[in-house]
Amino acid sequence: MISNYLKLAWRMLGRNKFFTFISLFGISFTLGILMVILSFLQSELGTNRPLTHKNDFVVVNMLTLKTEFFDTIVGVDTSFIDSKMVLDSTLEIKSSGSMQWNSEMNNGIAEEYLSDLPSAEKMTVFIEHSEYDVYINGVKLKLHSLHGDVNYWDLIDHQILDGRVFDKAEFDQAAKVVVISDKTALNYFGKTTGVVGNEMLLDGLNYKVIGMYKHFGKIVPYVSPDVVLPYTCAQLDNQDSFYHGFFCTLFKKKSGVSSEKLKEEIKYAASTIPMDHPSKPEGYEQLEFNPATYDEVFAQAIYYEREASKSLWIAKWILISLMSFFIVLPTLNLINLNVSRILDRSSEIGVRKAFGAHKGNIVAQFVFENVLQTLLGGLIGLGLAVFLIKLINKSGFIRNAILELSPNFFLYSFLVTLLFGILSGLLPAIKMSKLQIVNALKENKL
Amino acid sequence: MIKLNKISKVYRTKTIETTALNEIDLHIPKGEFLSIMGPSGCGKSTLLNIMGLLDEPSDGSILVSGQSIKNYASRETSKFRNQKLGFIFQSFHLIPDLSVLDNVELPLLYRNVSSKDRKQMASAALESVGLANRKSHFPSQLSGGQKQRVAIARAIVGNPEIILADEPTGNLDSVMGNEVMDILTKLNTQNGTTIVMVTHDESMAKKTHRLVRLYDGSQVA
Repeated sequence: MISNYLKLAWRMLGRNKFFTFISLFGISFTLGILMVILSFLQSELGTNRPLTHKNDFVVVNMLTLKTEFFDTIVGVDTSFIDSKMVLDSTLEIKSSGSMQWNSEMNNGIAEEYLSDLPSAEKMTVFIEHSEYDVYINGVKLKLHSLHGDVNYWDLIDHQILDGRVFDKAEFDQAAKVVVISDKTALNYFGKTTGVVGNEMLLDGLNYKVIGMYKHFGKIVPYVSPDVVLPYTCAQLDNQDSFYHGFFCTLFKKKSGVSSEKLKEEIKYAASTIPMDHPSKPEGYEQLEFNPATYDEVFAQAIYYEREASKSLWIAKWILISLMSFFIVLPTLNLINLNVSRILDRSSEIGVRKAFGAHKGNIVAQFVFENVLQTLLGGLIGLGLAVFLIKLINKSGFIRNAILELSPNFFLYSFLVTLLFGILSGLLPAIKMSKLQIVNALKENKL
Repeated sequence: MIKLNKISKVYRTKTIETTALNEIDLHIPKGEFLSIMGPSGCGKSTLLNIMGLLDEPSDGSILVSGQSIKNYASRETSKFRNQKLGFIFQSFHLIPDLSVLDNVELPLLYRNVSSKDRKQMASAALESVGLANRKSHFPSQLSGGQKQRVAIARAIVGNPEIILADEPTGNLDSVMGNEVMDILTKLNTQNGTTIVMVTHDESMAKKTHRLVRLYDGSQVA
């Protein structure tokens, strides 16, 4: 039966070439764009290198000093007791607002109060938002740096192409060493081989290049710096206070432990930090961490809610709505085209039903044909997507993002194409399967 | 084989009610070759469609092969049509995008018949109508007579007990019409297939066992 459907589907494509062209153009364009979006999401949010452990991450990128203001509200009630008026007053204390100071934390806080949480397998602290301006042959090159500790290399799964990463001794001694990306090697040295052992001038200081990692090009945080140095090399003496500083903290939770448990432990740790340090800014009485999973941090960039899980929920629905909207409109269009195409074949439906086809057979046949057409469109769309992805990667159109063509990308693209094919074929097929045989045969378009 | 009891068919719109068939009683025994005649619009095709379970009567009951048919849209009815009935239409109704062999295979697609057996059975059916050498042709490459012979092959490929033919010679010249009629007669005499044929042609009707005449939806002879 499948071979019969296949033959017919193939010949139907050739029957009305203009219709086929219009359909395939719409399908391939829609699917091509969807595939580019999928590739972006997969590249940025998949558990591919260097975010292999992404699903185990909990991030604390902010320390909040807070104080709440309270007002006393006095209420006076009158009541009658033994026919005498009695006055009764009530006092109510209500929060009338709060004052917050959010900033990255001091590394001392992280190391003393967050480094030994029961649910955390490992923790890394690092400074992310610093840049070096370097000049190559008079041309300014902006290098995005990350100052980290040795654990950074265990948590962020960089692919080391040459050399090595810095070790604990180098970290402790604040050795002037740097690990650079292959992109930086190319921009700075003009080559990607033989750069290990060379010196690099950053902020007037010479750093020895000891390793080179692959630049994966992601816009998500912490994973695509141009250079990574030990944070002990950074100027730390001008951090704001005992509390606030320059650092983010990234945890990898132990396997079998939930992210929520680790979050709870982090929140509890906040309550153990003394609030009587002389450097504490005036007027703040409470200290809070707002830990979030890696996906929640990304979601907060799309739609910020202080409660990170709410951000993720909203961001997910924004993405799902956009994707659905992008699928639904062309699907409706394709349904419309399909109805007119299938109407042309009502006599065939009549004949098939007369010779024993039931509704299910008719639906299966037309959905099969539509899926085949959509897969063909998907194949063209894939070509378009690959072209667009290469163009985006080459042009640097989305900041430094490099969109990937991973096996998952092809799997998801296939699934989206299949879904598109089934959705756009099912409705017309069901509608046509309900045709009365006599009426269908009267169409006599065979 | 086919028993119609007081079959009526009424088409209703908001303003008009048209009676296509009016209390038709008809019994067609197994192995009979019956023809139905009457002027255009008298209800011949409607009656044939009701016998073939392609249309529902407004009133009355129908027994085919001893089975009472009630729900026309059901899967069982589709199966019944597939196994017991074969159809031949005036305008052939071949699927233009399928080869002759694939067209003939069509009824077998809806049975559990392997691809190899389907091809064998379709080839045999085509051979019996003299078109073994046209298997890979497409309907557009055939003459009217050849198309109708393909349609007959399609109708008989599943060995149905009953063949319902709606003006099978209506679109053919007399030579081709006679060829088609000869095939139908042979099917009836050699295989014992029950055939009900709607026709306008008196000479074709005379070749059948019995003639039923309709006029304005009623049986007049």
